[in-house]
Amino acid sequence: MTEELTPSTTNGSRVVNQLAANVERNVFTPPIDIYETDEGLVLHADLPGVTIDSLELQVQDNKLTLFGKVNPQIPDGAKPLHREYQVGDFLRSFILSDEVDHERISAKLTNGVLEVTLPKATQVEPRKIEVKTD
Amino acid sequence: MPVFRWGQTWDAFRDLEREVDRLLSNVNFTFQGYRVGRQYPALNLYELEDEFLFTAEVPGTKVEELELTMAGGIMTIKGLRSDPEGIPEERFRRQERLRGPWQRSISIPERVQEEQLTAELKDGLLKIHLPKVEDVSPRQIPVVEGDQ
Repeated sequence: MTEELTPSTTNGSRVVNQLAANVERNVFTPPIDIYETDEGLVLHADLPGVTIDSLELQVQDNKLTLFGKVNPQIPDGAKPLHREYQVGDFLRSFILSDEVDHERISAKLTNGVLEVTLPKATQVEPRKIEVKTD
Repeated sequence: MPVFRWGQTWDAFRDLEREVDRLLSNVNFTFQGYRVGRQYPALNLYELEDEFLFTAEVPGTKVEELELTMAGGIMTIKGLRSDPEGIPEERFRRQERLRGPWQRSISIPERVQEEQLTAELKDGLLKIHLPKVEDVSPRQIPVVEGDQ
């Protein structure tokens, strides 16, 4: 589920992943928006039920991965009468281009929506190398 | 899969992709069809010992954008997803999330105390608690002897 910082065909689809200790949990691909600003890119992802404590956001090499663990939404012993959606964790990853300044990536989580700011790296001025003769 | 980076001159692909996205978004993300043909928000209903519990995932909706009304056994939830604001269409590379106003009406289970309804919104998760009517002990109905 790694993708370049744009295209994805796995929009909102669900996959069942085998995570730790033989516990089967649903893992969903969260829907995202990505838009450009003058400073760089902004990514929004819907992660309902994910809290700051249960969210892992990491950049390794040029890969940005978000994993949001969703805690149980209902008390134990609740009897399901009607179910239209399933509860599961959220996972999605992206390949960052070189033009993103990895050091300055920042993120915030509000109302179940994650906002990641990916600033453009400042352009390095070309340096002129003087050639001397003996 | 097209790859878009700053400064690359693949604008034609980009326009195409955006156009395809737009077409697809018209198919998949009309307001009443979250996933094809499905009402938004999707709701789960649970029964507990002393209450019924509705849960719904409504990421991006603020408390002040949420409205809950009850009339004649029908509960209506209304909300708005306003973010991100003021970003022109052409700035988007991906647009998968729902936006705009949404509304859903559902009939609530019988034998609940409508006036005791409580709702909470946290981390994009809406929970609506409907306390059950307390068990009423069986009422004795006197039978009188009819006229012979």
